[in-house]
Amino acid sequence: MEGAFDYAPAIALFPLVAFVVALAFGKFLPKKGAIPGIAATAGSLLFSLWMLAAVASGETYHETLYEWAVGNAGGAATEGIEFTFGILIDPLSALMLVIVSLVAFLVHVFSLGYMNAEGETGLPRYYAGLGLFTFSMLAFVFADNLLMAFMFFELVGLCSFLLIGFWFRTKSAPSAAKKAFLVTRFGDYFFLLGVVAIAATFGTLQFAGDASFVNAADAALNGDGDAWVPAGLSTDTWVTITGLLVLGGVLGKSAQFPLHTWLPDAMEGPTTVSALIHAATMVAAGVYLVARMFGYYALSPTALAIIAFVGGFTALFAATMGVVKDDIKQVLAYSTISQYGYMMLGLGVGGYVAGVFHLMNHAFFKALLFLGAGSVIVLMHHEQDMWKMGGLKEKAPVTYWTFLAGALALAGIIPFSGFWSKDEILYDALIVGVNDPVIMAAYAMGLVAVFFTGFYTFRMVFLTFHGEPRSDAAEDPHPVGWSIKVPLIVLGVLAVVAGVANLAPVAKLAAVDITFLEHWLDGEFGAIEGLTYGAYGELLHYDAGVIGSEQLTVLIAAGLSLLLAFSGAGLAWKLYNVPEPVAHKERLGSAGTVVEDNYYQDEYQVWLAEGLTLPLSRAADRFDQTVIDGVVNGVSTVSLFGSSAMKRLQTGIVTNYAALIVTGFVILLLVLGLLGGWFL
Amino acid sequence: MTVPIEYYVLLSMGLFCIGLFGVLTRRNALMFLMSVELMLNAANINLIAFAFYHGNLTGQVFSLFVMALAAAEVAIGLGIILVLYRNFRDVDVTVPTTMRW
Repeated sequence: MEGAFDYAPAIALFPLVAFVVALAFGKFLPKKGAIPGIAATAGSLLFSLWMLAAVASGETYHETLYEWAVGNAGGAATEGIEFTFGILIDPLSALMLVIVSLVAFLVHVFSLGYMNAEGETGLPRYYAGLGLFTFSMLAFVFADNLLMAFMFFELVGLCSFLLIGFWFRTKSAPSAAKKAFLVTRFGDYFFLLGVVAIAATFGTLQFAGDASFVNAADAALNGDGDAWVPAGLSTDTWVTITGLLVLGGVLGKSAQFPLHTWLPDAMEGPTTVSALIHAATMVAAGVYLVARMFGYYALSPTALAIIAFVGGFTALFAATMGVVKDDIKQVLAYSTISQYGYMMLGLGVGGYVAGVFHLMNHAFFKALLFLGAGSVIVLMHHEQDMWKMGGLKEKAPVTYWTFLAGALALAGIIPFSGFWSKDEILYDALIVGVNDPVIMAAYAMGLVAVFFTGFYTFRMVFLTFHGEPRSDAAEDPHPVGWSIKVPLIVLGVLAVVAGVANLAPVAKLAAVDITFLEHWLDGEFGAIEGLTYGAYGELLHYDAGVIGSEQLTVLIAAGLSLLLAFSGAGLAWKLYNVPEPVAHKERLGSAGTVVEDNYYQDEYQVWLAEGLTLPLSRAADRFDQTVIDGVVNGVSTVSLFGSSAMKRLQTGIVTNYAALIVTGFVILLLVLGLLGGWFL
Repeated sequence: MTVPIEYYVLLSMGLFCIGLFGVLTRRNALMFLMSVELMLNAANINLIAFAFYHGNLTGQVFSLFVMALAAAEVAIGLGIILVLYRNFRDVDVTVPTTMRW
């Protein structure tokens, strides 16, 4: 594998080239930019696999490619701080590169059937957007420092703005695009503050190596490092604060409570874009960032507990909203929020492997479900309301079976991939929660969410595919081509088998060594020192307890979640797997109304904006207009007034000038005389 | 008999004050020039008187310079006055005020 890493930048550059080509020449190309996009993402995929193989053969890569600013950070960091672009390829980023480029590749292929076949206009713009999106995500994944990560994090946000607002002539799409951009941007303000704080505190922004901020923070906490801590805070508190600031960006991008409101609206974009955003790029970016700098969070139990609690809460909160939605894409949107909640819960309880595992599995099955929904939308002649579907099972078997595989994985039914990762997250939460009530609460919320997940997933499946057709479109679906079916089949297979990567419960019960992902992330093939599961484990401050024995705990955790998943799915079966399903919403009473209105999240955020932020900014504006501008204008008024007085001296009459000169001369003479003591 | 230095200084002062008075009160540009000449001459008297008093020729040389300067000044001054007259049909220095700012 000598020299494989020399080609690492190409992984991200391929889609960038595709972006430029699609933008500049897309109009003249036969498929309007699809071909360069497919070629580029295929290239990225091949190179990513090459990197994966290189890491598997025991090598890693950490190189600074370009240094764009060097300066003095001040404070404790006496040597200058460097702002660089660099590449870090370790087991985590190699895995993520493969996931991102695979999903991006399949989405590009799917787009041939979804966008090209539908006679869309603006296709070059669409493919350019996809290319730029893939580029920014890939570059974000292999970023070796926090600042570079931040820059590409922002670029990902920009791309989501461009793609969600693809149908800019409608009223809702631009509004959704703006909302997505602004809400995630709001989180990114905190992220930026966190970047600045970390840079100022430790004088470095590197993720890995001896000079990483994780090492610096660890040393500072042990009392033998020099770190700048403001305002007499303890180092503990400051590390927690900076970690939480960065977490702000994560909450925004990964759509965690309370910054999740943009994501359901983002369904206004093309379904393929949703698949890319939800599975591999934007929403995954937040969780990936937590995994990337997991060593830093591991230093702060408070930050981890907050991550876990927010994750558990979001998992339940979003799952309940998914239950009452009628639009197939809306259900999936809330499902995404909920599933990323699980990942946050997993990472928050120190289950690094579990979180990454779920990130991987979710990328496959959520991409599958979104592309499946896209396929359904094509079948249904662009109808998204599930109440108008039904009976698609026989008419579109490929879509049905692959969608079913994704649904089983999402609901966490054994042995599909989602079960293994979700179960591992819940198990990790349980063993920590035994000793920690906050984590226990987060675990309980995550556990209850399993029931809702099972319910809404199968409600969606039954409404869409089972029963009798409930509209003309469902009677006579539009056929879908190979470019739609092939990505579905590939992802369908992955959704079924990806769980093999880490069969932790089986490994614990049968004492066999089949936790491949854990070994992979633990750096048994190749890893950068300090960025392994084992190294993170040493930084964690959690105690793991068990109920009875370890085997019993595994059985309890898996049994509980399976039971809940089955009962959720079973309830959906009972209520909706009938020829003529009816809505059961009225049974929920007023709670149903609240849930359907998304707990008035949008309303209260609008109220916050209008009732609090607007008066506050008005007051600030008033202050600016009067006090600040008053001072500035006052200063300039003085000089204006002075000069208007002075200019009266300029008469243009020579005599006056002569008189002034003489007067001045006489005064000068008098002053000099007085000072010189002539008259005394 | 030698005239004491005070008389020269008084003469020079008087001459200078007459010149200054002319500059400050007259409006005719030609009178201006003449008044300036008076002031320059007052300076020359001082220079020569002090040179004589100290027994050194530097002051007298300087007074020669001042005369050359005065000649040059008159040449330019007359040129300006001619232009003034051409533009304003007058040699009153209070009339042209258009170059104020």
